[in-house]
Amino acid sequence: MAEDVFLADDLLRQLMSVGEVDLLVGMSSHNAANTVSQAVRTIEESLQRNFVRQRVVIVNVGGGHQDEDSVVAKGHGNLVEKDVRLPGITSLRTSHRVTANFSGPPSPGIALHTILAAADLLRARACAVVSPATSNLTSDSIANLLRPAYLEKFDFVAPLYTRNKYQGLLARNLLYPMSRALFGCGIRELFSDEWGFSGRLAALCLNQDVWHEEAIRARPEAWMAISAISSDFRCCQTFLGEKSQAVKGPGTDIVEVLRQTVGTLFWCLETQQSLWLDCQRSQPVPTFGTAHELTSEQTDLDRHRIFEMFRSGVTELEPILSSILDPETHSEIRSIVSIEEEKFRFKSDIWVRTLYDFAASYHHAVINRDHLVQALAPLYRGMTYSFLVEHADSSPAEMEAASEMLCVEFELQKPYLMERWKAKVEVKS
Amino acid sequence: MRQTILEGLEQVYSNLVHMVAEFLPRFLVMLIIIVIGLLVAFVLKYILRALLGLTKLDRLSEEAGASRFLRMAHLPPMTELLSRSIFWVTWIGFILVGLSVLGVAGLQEQISRLFRFLPEVFVAILILFLGAVIANFLSRAALLAAVNAGHPSPKILTWSIRFVIGILAISMTLEELGVARQTVISAFSIIFGASMLGLAIAFGLGGQDLARKCLERYLGDTKKAKDKEPQPL
Repeated sequence: MAEDVFLADDLLRQLMSVGEVDLLVGMSSHNAANTVSQAVRTIEESLQRNFVRQRVVIVNVGGGHQDEDSVVAKGHGNLVEKDVRLPGITSLRTSHRVTANFSGPPSPGIALHTILAAADLLRARACAVVSPATSNLTSDSIANLLRPAYLEKFDFVAPLYTRNKYQGLLARNLLYPMSRALFGCGIRELFSDEWGFSGRLAALCLNQDVWHEEAIRARPEAWMAISAISSDFRCCQTFLGEKSQAVKGPGTDIVEVLRQTVGTLFWCLETQQSLWLDCQRSQPVPTFGTAHELTSEQTDLDRHRIFEMFRSGVTELEPILSSILDPETHSEIRSIVSIEEEKFRFKSDIWVRTLYDFAASYHHAVINRDHLVQALAPLYRGMTYSFLVEHADSSPAEMEAASEMLCVEFELQKPYLMERWKAKVEVKS
Repeated sequence: MRQTILEGLEQVYSNLVHMVAEFLPRFLVMLIIIVIGLLVAFVLKYILRALLGLTKLDRLSEEAGASRFLRMAHLPPMTELLSRSIFWVTWIGFILVGLSVLGVAGLQEQISRLFRFLPEVFVAILILFLGAVIANFLSRAALLAAVNAGHPSPKILTWSIRFVIGILAISMTLEELGVARQTVISAFSIIFGASMLGLAIAFGLGGQDLARKCLERYLGDTKKAKDKEPQPL
């Protein structure tokens, strides 16, 4: 859809009065009314401190909430704010602020679509998307997202964080190794609330006819990264500091997170078949700053409950799993379910084959695709339990080595996925 | 005497010739109608197959779970099934029209009754099929939601949904066919009402502890339970 069709007249008027810019920072203040003013101040500070000579704009897609919009346009009467100076900071350029309403039901995908359209119209050279809902938004982190795209000409800039060693297990055990093995690009944080990109990637993504897709509306960032990879655009990672959890959002609702992330990843496999079927080996991604950092604070995790939910889930969902999994994989899963809790381990080869079976079944749509992704939740819990037990006393280096081995396992078993992907749907009764 | 016999035979022969002369053109008309019907049915089959192929009905049917039912019943995919159905419906329609041309006494009345009843049969089959698909879809959704929320007995929920939708679909099918309408409606009301009342009593009285646990889980303790799992992202 052409950008001038879905953009509101008021937004177009604001964008025309801004003219061309070098840098654009976009955010969606939907569900973040309490934190948006702080986020805007931080962005302003970052832009004025780090990009003194650049023309910059902040685009806030606010979902039509007057309170949120007024924060961005506050104190000026006009919607486009000009020349706000922070004490002690000497920016040579005007900093603009633009507010937009959602052109449909509020969602990250709609917000990104509006931000990309604004970036395209303003001819922005580098852009960053940040989330006002995260508590660790700093001036440096915004600059770190913008610099590689603006100065080093990278097209997609993924974040890297310091994490607790028990956090981000879905990214560590599924999203990162699977996307690395299949798409050949080792971006650790494929799904994140903040990332950077170039103007040309914005233009490329804007012209894709995908914005009505549920996967894109929920989590568009992974698709954007994969679009960059598929077009041979340059990707990199940059260290942003400690990973904070969103104040609002899906939180630890595993099923919702799986739907948004694994569902989107499977959808990308479906739509980018030619890319990953031909991809031979994974390439390292240039990284700015520390590659990864793990902390070991104690967390209140109920391992027994996680294991019980795995066991009962696999047992209760047997008919569904039998239609998704290869008979051999299914029988191996059934055999490990009966193992005692203390001795239970989810071996990486079974885990990889399970995921590849899910991906192939998603492709063949053996059951409703949303149901299929939901059926992964008990198995993910099993893997999580196994990981928590195995790495209770592991050092960061040991965990990194285990993560690397898992990535290798995913790469080794890629032919298995390709075989199942290309196979006809088997008749199972 | 001989003359009478000869006249009788002549009369019979004449009648026979007359009948054959009258029947043969009708029979030929019937054959022509059946052959034309066959051609029309083939054309319709291929047109429908092409149209359904464009609409990606098979993919939709897979996602809705209907194809699984078809595979279990050893039936072809949805597109093939519908195009074959249209072939047979069209051809049988032409065959019946052809048979009515023969003018066989009693047959015409039966054929017209069959024609009147045919749409109802199709609607009834459609209701039954949709009922099975909806029951399968909703019960699977409920099973997944219950299992992932850690519900203690998710299969009861699944069976209840399957049972209620199944009863509803069967009642609607029988009503569509006009089979003992009043009895079906009464039976449905009694079974449905009794089941719901029974479940409510069983849950409220027999399973007080379970009811309390469920309410606590859904209303109060959800966040606490979720917090004991590691952040996935």
